[in-house]
Amino acid sequence: MKDTSHLIDFAIKYGFLLLMAALIVVFGLNAEGFLSPFSAVFILQSVAITGILALGVTATLVVGGFDLSIGAVATSALMLSAYVMVVWEMSAGMAVVLCLLMGAAVGLVNGLLIVKARIPDLLATLGMMFLLVGLQRIPTEGRSISTGMALPDGSTAAGIFSPGFLMLGRHRLDLIVPDLLPLSVVFLVVIAVLVWVFLELTRHGRLMYAIGSNAQAASLAGANVNRYKIAAYMISGTLASVGGILLAARLGRGDVASGNNLLLDSVAAALIGFAVLGASKPNAFGTAIGALFVGILLQGLTMMNAPYYTQDFIKGGVLVIALVFTFALSGRGGRGRG
Amino acid sequence: MITRRVFAGLIGAAAMLPGLGWAADMPAPLDNPGDVKVALVRYLSTGDFFQAYLSGVEKQAAAIGVDLRVFDSRQDAALQADMVDQAIALGVDGIIIQHGLTESMQAAAQRAVEAGIKVVAFDVNVENDAIPQIEQSDRDLARLALEQAVEDNGTEFTAGYVYVPGIAPLDRRDETWVKVKAANPGIKQVAEFGTLDNPIANSVANQARSVLSANPSITVMFAPYDEFAKGVKIAVDEAGMTSQVSIYSADVSTADIAAMREAGSAWKATAATNPAVVGEVSVRALAMLLAGEDPGHNVIVPPTLITQAMLNDLDIKNMEDLGKKAPAFAHADVAVPDWMPLPAR
Amino acid sequence: MSDQAIRLSGLHKAFGRNQVLRGVDLEIPAGQVTVLMGANGAGKSTLVKILCGVHAADSGEITLGGAPLVANSPSDALRAGVVTVHQNINDGVVPDLDVVSNLVLDSLAGGGGVFLRRGQMRARARQIAAAVGLEIDVRRQVSDLSLADRQLVSIARAMAHEPRLLILDEPTSSLSAVEADRLFDLVEQLRDRGVAILYISHRMSDIRRLADRIVSMRDGAISGVFEDAPLDYSGSVRAMLGHEITEVDIAIPQPGRPVLEVRDLVLRDGARPFSLEARENEVIAITGLVGSGKSDFAGALFGLAAPVSGTMRLDGGPHAPASARAAIDAGVFLCPKDRLINAVVADFDITRNLTLPFIARHSRLSFLSFRSERATAGRMIGTMGIVCQNPSDGILTLSGGNQQKVMVARWMAEAARLLILDEPFQGVDIQARRDIGHKIRETSAHRATIVFVAELDEALEIADRVLVMSEHSIVGEHRNENIDVSAIMAQVVDAEPARAAGQ
Repeated sequence: MKDTSHLIDFAIKYGFLLLMAALIVVFGLNAEGFLSPFSAVFILQSVAITGILALGVTATLVVGGFDLSIGAVATSALMLSAYVMVVWEMSAGMAVVLCLLMGAAVGLVNGLLIVKARIPDLLATLGMMFLLVGLQRIPTEGRSISTGMALPDGSTAAGIFSPGFLMLGRHRLDLIVPDLLPLSVVFLVVIAVLVWVFLELTRHGRLMYAIGSNAQAASLAGANVNRYKIAAYMISGTLASVGGILLAARLGRGDVASGNNLLLDSVAAALIGFAVLGASKPNAFGTAIGALFVGILLQGLTMMNAPYYTQDFIKGGVLVIALVFTFALSGRGGRGRG
Repeated sequence: MITRRVFAGLIGAAAMLPGLGWAADMPAPLDNPGDVKVALVRYLSTGDFFQAYLSGVEKQAAAIGVDLRVFDSRQDAALQADMVDQAIALGVDGIIIQHGLTESMQAAAQRAVEAGIKVVAFDVNVENDAIPQIEQSDRDLARLALEQAVEDNGTEFTAGYVYVPGIAPLDRRDETWVKVKAANPGIKQVAEFGTLDNPIANSVANQARSVLSANPSITVMFAPYDEFAKGVKIAVDEAGMTSQVSIYSADVSTADIAAMREAGSAWKATAATNPAVVGEVSVRALAMLLAGEDPGHNVIVPPTLITQAMLNDLDIKNMEDLGKKAPAFAHADVAVPDWMPLPAR
Repeated sequence: MSDQAIRLSGLHKAFGRNQVLRGVDLEIPAGQVTVLMGANGAGKSTLVKILCGVHAADSGEITLGGAPLVANSPSDALRAGVVTVHQNINDGVVPDLDVVSNLVLDSLAGGGGVFLRRGQMRARARQIAAAVGLEIDVRRQVSDLSLADRQLVSIARAMAHEPRLLILDEPTSSLSAVEADRLFDLVEQLRDRGVAILYISHRMSDIRRLADRIVSMRDGAISGVFEDAPLDYSGSVRAMLGHEITEVDIAIPQPGRPVLEVRDLVLRDGARPFSLEARENEVIAITGLVGSGKSDFAGALFGLAAPVSGTMRLDGGPHAPASARAAIDAGVFLCPKDRLINAVVADFDITRNLTLPFIARHSRLSFLSFRSERATAGRMIGTMGIVCQNPSDGILTLSGGNQQKVMVARWMAEAARLLILDEPFQGVDIQARRDIGHKIRETSAHRATIVFVAELDEALEIADRVLVMSEHSIVGEHRNENIDVSAIMAQVVDAEPARAAGQ
């Protein structure tokens, strides 16, 4: 009996990491080229954007909230950066700054709706999502933005995506092999570390976790619950806009998109993160691993020519397994949301 | 930027001035076009293609002078059927059904026909003999792009293919690809992938990169939808295989033109029907029906091949340039009876 | 009637390596109230959970009226006639439904048909309510009811099952004296109908009032059974704790200079203004019924809600905190009641729960110093006598008494000017109650201390002065020396009808 309880403890703590290691071995044996540095970098790059969004969601999950608007914030940032550079012909720096401000502002509005207007988080951010999906289409009447597009006044847009901006999504640093490491991966790693440090090593992170677990207790212990909640949504909005900037730099154009897939993938990553190291709660390290896990899975399956519809199925499967790890096996119930 | 509609209106008004002269020549009921109400009931509306289609419909409707109402169901099949009923209730004279699902639209289209309304359908089969089908020829699109691929690369090459089954135009394009492969056993397809997760280009790029690293021998990518091609191009560039891989696709937009014209771009050619022209043809076919003429059951808008070389030689920067400098792209001589006023160019 | 008895024999239960029940043999006769006493961790809760089908015993046998009781789930137990009223009120009711639905919920969950018949349900609900003397509008939403009324609803609901064994787990912990009296009447009625009653409580007043027999539990086994009249109360406590309750001797020290001065404070419209002074080296207990305004007064002192009028001064300066943070910064700390709702951060370990309010002291430039946290946690665990394996264990691994010690320790880690403790002995075993009380008195030299308690026993155990609160005002003051308990009780209770009439 002692052995089984040890085994379960071990499974809760390391099960997910072992599963990931096993997956790497299986793909390494079956998909040629999977175990190359390029492949590793590809995986990281494919999860960079959803990973950054997922870290934002993690911040809202920590305070017991949820942000459904991140996908829409990301695609709005995509459109905004394109609009700023192509139509207004401003610099890359302006585009980045305006996008970050937009993301933070959306987060602020989300936070105020939830904290001041007392709208439940899911509903407030759902409303914001629809608002943004519509808003991003208004300036261009639903068309994509690219250099040379015809403007309503009959002229053509002369601005370009500046090389400096495109670098954000396309430039590669030399690491062992020349031109290996894309900048977006560097952003992911840096942001993951920053979010981890913020949540685990600062008192602000500690208070945010306290608020997520028992807001009433945190408030009676003197924490300004409303301010921290708003801050969490601002972090989420800002990180989502970073994701949108990287997306724009990679695509090199402003594409109209709802961003729903970005939302679902990043939420999945954050929830899978609950299972990593038996944390049973939102955490930055777990979220990064969760995003990586999905990336490895999809990369391997695609390399093995698995059809596209299997991928959503597998993603769903991983999520369910992770939730079982979190809620059923650990027995402490975790806390999900709310 | 809200002035676009006004702008379209101005063009329409400009067309109306000489149009006043023609109006008398148009057959009834179009001799009094202001009293003729036409509805466009849309299933898909987001994206450049559908925007351009709409602008074509608007321009041609303005040129004739009919009163156009646009219903947009935004990919809600049930809502689209309801909107047809709404249009019937509104007492329109003609309906253009743009995309949709056969299952949901068939009955609604039949109700419209029974109500004495003239109906044409674009890119959706409503299984009704009284309803002409406006089509861009997807088979021709794929054929033109693949002919160029064979011309550039010979009949022996290793290919990757982007495809999502179950989407009607992609299925039709796939038929051609299957035929071409059968006719040219030297074409070896080593990978098939695809997704419609949006942003589509980003998702396809992630997949394409995996495919390229698993199959570094690929020299041709057939991506018969421009969002697919965009994604593949990103992946090819990121994998540093720009000079090795050639991309052939279907459809075109201003952004596509820019991507094809990048120095050394892997995107070699695309075959496209001008969606604005398809929009114009849709209205013209409906106008013919209203005037009691028969546009034919299948109204096919022929595609044009657009190559990288052609874009560079003619210095085409956007869709407008393409329309001006490649006349075959700007106008299709389909459904044009003598009395038909054309939009001003 | 002995064939009606519930008999437990040789019950064993372990959770992992932790042996919780080590062979419990117990008989609960019909038509009697058997009081089960035991310190936290003695195994009472586990025993109850086995009886009501939540857990299965590892070995041993339970018979009900001679036949084996097989309860693999709570609904099995319910069907067999074992009905439990849990300590946590919201376990017994569904707050979002009305009283009707709550009272007939069990038949809803088990019954046939799809559609609700409101009229029939309401009639049945009135019948159930009337049977237990519950006088409330059955159409009201449970979430709108007071805690006491909710408790009565949950008991009424349990009684609707015609129980053969009724288990009451600390049912009076949230009730005022008047409400508790109604409950006792109900329990006695049921006993007279021949129901076997297992009553779990720490409160001597409850036990004196109700018990026909007392069973003491200690370390997972029965340590004493007392059934001969007169019941040997001190013997039962001795059996439970291993030592006897001794009356706490309060030596009232010389109070220091005034810390808190309250002048003409009005807590809500229409309440009588009151004044009080709290001095250094003084422990004041404020006692009163549930709803008498104790929590509102605590809230006013801690900046949660501003009083209607009046002034508060702290160390001579004005005290009008706008938030909990402002109060804390001024040196006024509040250890709130209902720890699981207001204090415990369930996701945190012991250390993090301890350092929560003063986390800024453990960080530099916002970065946490885990070493500083560990040092404080170690110090407070030592001084409060918190029993735990490791300061990094989850807070919920602790017993209720130890959880409460952590919550009190949280506010003792820094020096307060005024320390307010609201119901610090709620859901705490006697040993922990003693420990907490001692610690509060021991450390009170350089601050003023106000303890809000509903139980007079608790007030007498800890305070130098006992103030009585009623109708949102202070109605009596007693120095804790040769105190006239009946006079206090009169002040506590007598004002009550006046309030009811005033409404």
